[in-house]
Amino acid sequence: MTDKNGFFDLSKSGFTRRTALKGLAAGAGLAVAPGFVRYAQAQSSAPIKIGFQSHRTGIGAAYGRWYEKTTAAAIKAINAAGGINGRQVEVIIEDDGTDPGRGAEVVGKFATQHKTDIVFGTLFSHVVIGSAPAAGEAKMPYFVVSEGHHVASTKLNRYVFQPGITDVKSQIQSMAPWIAANAGKKVTQIFPDFAFGYDHRDYLPPALKAQGAEVIAQIAIPPTESSFTKYFPQIPAETEVIYHVMVGPAVLTFVKELGEFYGSNRPQLFGFIDSLEAVDINSPGLEFLDGSHFWEGSPRYAQADDTEAQKAYRAAVGIDDNGAAVGDPKDVSTAAHMFGCWETLYVVKKAMEDAGYKGPEDRAKLVEATEALKEFAEGPEHPQGAKTFNGKIHQCFGIQNISKVEGGKLKVVHKTKIEDGLYEAEGDYTTQAL
Amino acid sequence: MVLLPPPAFAHASDRGHVLLLPTGYYLIGGAFAVAISFLVLALLPPDPLGRFWRRRLPLFTFNDSARTIVSLISFAGFAILITAGLFGSRDPLSNPLPLVIWTLLWAGLTLLQGVFGDLWSWLNPWYGPWRLLSRLTGRGDVGAWRLPQWLGCWPAVVLFFAFAWFELIDPAPDDPARLAFAAGLYWLFTLIAMLLFGYDKWSRSGEFLTMFFSMVARFAPVGRDEQGRLGLCWPGAKLLAAEPLPASGIAFLLLALSSVSFDGLSKTFFWLGLFGINPLEFPGRTAVIGSGSLGLVLTFVLLAGAFLLAVLLGQRLAGSDRPLAQAAGLLVWSIVPIALAYHVAHYLTALLVDGQYALASLSDPLALGWNLLGTADMQVEAGIVAGAGSAWWLWNIQAGAIISGHVLAVLVAHGFAWRLHPQPARAALSQFPLTVLMIAYTIFGLWLLATPTVG
Repeated sequence: MTDKNGFFDLSKSGFTRRTALKGLAAGAGLAVAPGFVRYAQAQSSAPIKIGFQSHRTGIGAAYGRWYEKTTAAAIKAINAAGGINGRQVEVIIEDDGTDPGRGAEVVGKFATQHKTDIVFGTLFSHVVIGSAPAAGEAKMPYFVVSEGHHVASTKLNRYVFQPGITDVKSQIQSMAPWIAANAGKKVTQIFPDFAFGYDHRDYLPPALKAQGAEVIAQIAIPPTESSFTKYFPQIPAETEVIYHVMVGPAVLTFVKELGEFYGSNRPQLFGFIDSLEAVDINSPGLEFLDGSHFWEGSPRYAQADDTEAQKAYRAAVGIDDNGAAVGDPKDVSTAAHMFGCWETLYVVKKAMEDAGYKGPEDRAKLVEATEALKEFAEGPEHPQGAKTFNGKIHQCFGIQNISKVEGGKLKVVHKTKIEDGLYEAEGDYTTQAL
Repeated sequence: MVLLPPPAFAHASDRGHVLLLPTGYYLIGGAFAVAISFLVLALLPPDPLGRFWRRRLPLFTFNDSARTIVSLISFAGFAILITAGLFGSRDPLSNPLPLVIWTLLWAGLTLLQGVFGDLWSWLNPWYGPWRLLSRLTGRGDVGAWRLPQWLGCWPAVVLFFAFAWFELIDPAPDDPARLAFAAGLYWLFTLIAMLLFGYDKWSRSGEFLTMFFSMVARFAPVGRDEQGRLGLCWPGAKLLAAEPLPASGIAFLLLALSSVSFDGLSKTFFWLGLFGINPLEFPGRTAVIGSGSLGLVLTFVLLAGAFLLAVLLGQRLAGSDRPLAQAAGLLVWSIVPIALAYHVAHYLTALLVDGQYALASLSDPLALGWNLLGTADMQVEAGIVAGAGSAWWLWNIQAGAIISGHVLAVLVAHGFAWRLHPQPARAALSQFPLTVLMIAYTIFGLWLLATPTVG
């Protein structure tokens, strides 16, 4: 089901979101979709079952919705092209409520009740950390799309992989060369006073130092704060760059108040789009961000030099040029992260094919086959860009985008190199028993 | 393991847009609106207003002949939903059971009851099966057993609390199978209770949904009298004809309001801060079962205490020697418009988005690839509640609902006050403490919608 350029063309497939992704009874549903008939006849084996640990409810629901859409699109494309090892792929969604306790239960359900081949798709780090022991215990390959450093830290276990999105340590580190060369040498960091902020607090200073720049102040803001004016006088006057990674509902207030504090004469601003993922960049209160820069995993807005693969991916997932749902322009996607679901599923496909994967009895082989992967070429399966994979720490490394807010859009002005984000491995999962 | 840095993605949700709105003015304005309603009512002569408010427009009469069949159809639908819950999709946004129960029934039907009157008395999945079974066994309308008088509707209070706990505190009330068990068992339990104690009796003392829905329906501008005649009236006017509720009924209505209030409160940064929980890294429902259970009880106790105190003070101020129970039993009906307003404000966004998921799921209830209603592949437009523009509209609708609900509550309470105290001056005096409570609750309700929350 590819067009003349070799890209997935789903418009003619007859597959729908539901037929690709409908939970427990998906196999039955697929059989009645018109495009499926020939595959149904071509092979008789049962579908490969992927347990999707999904943030359908709870604080992750806005991300969960887009992870679900991206996953549905990827599965649709994979099935339309013949599935994995000639077998169709069925996704079973279980809601984890964005709750670590519930997450572990859900992994258990996938292992014992649904008997899925793998578990996939978790975003929130505390859910990953809460669920990983259950996955290890059940010897269930667990492919997360969380960007946390927890997988690469090698403090989880051999069954946990993050092959579709770069971890936050690598992201932060790879921002340093551009910041030092283009934004300024004296950086003040403003971050929320909890683990999310601590990643930035801890990883940025050494990376900047290596580039001849320095962090001159670190301002930690209590997570429950909803007004920020009183913190701004702590920003040193000689600050050339404010590096901000605020998250939560008060982000808009933060930006607005920062704008009121500085007026038109401000230092350079650099942030992570995590702050404003799924939020319209043109929302009232965000005017101050015009001309500032953001990290983006995958660009929200369509770019002039987008590859054919990127265009095909965006069309398949259903996002328009502004990164919002096609037909629903106010529904802004979580574009910077959700590509990871698409790419992870293609890694799973590749690893299952390499392992000659037949069923749950081959899970250990799947783990080893995944660990043996080295790199993923940019293309329809990896539209965000090329990646390398370190099988010892179960983590991929990829390029990052630095985008400038310009004319109400995010325009990519720099793409980092994979090498910018590499760091010394902190351990080796392959030494653990399977 | 705990030392690992767990990045969180706390979403800059649509509450972020509300934080930029001048919500403080709404809080002040809402408080004034309620206070001024009280003053106006205190100065108005009760009789003309009462006559005006009691005006009715009779429409037409219809009998109950179709009620059994409607309820049986509803029961069949319920049975399909339970089947879907057990065997359909595991995704709570694709499986129709959680969407119908939580979104269409609990959030949606409550509002319909408040507008169109007691639809539930026809739609509930018990009446039809009960009628068939009681005819077959020849028992007629009265059950074999009698509920003791002192029990009042305490069973409904207990069951409503269990329901609220399941909705608000249980780790996974949306899980289709879990909900199918809970709803299926409750249906069976209720049917047995109705066969044992009689349909009417159990509906008035034990079946909490019927209790809640019929109370809400008393607010509706549409109603049907004993003779089966449909008519129009002013919103809330039917409440004035209500009899005093017993202690259990007072507790029931206050619990209905306090549980929805707590749902709002439990998500605020303020509440989570009390328990040292970082809202940007919310640890999930399994981590807050203890504080949630405590909060659910505490909100009820505080509301009940404040309400009874306000009524007691009012009675004292008016120099009335009527028993507190009678005054509280009547005045508690004024909670109905507030409970409805909270319901509108609280569930509005869920209704707008999950309502779409519900519509899609009903086309393919068992995840078999069906498209019964042609909605199976509809695009769910989450953007309907996203962005600054939507936030402005939603906030105004929500704030409008909260303020009008309280103004109507003041009006209803005044109607009862005139009944309790024939002298207008005393009636007004008796309402002073309750009005203060309502002003406070207006501010609280608006604050819940304006303050930072998780999710």
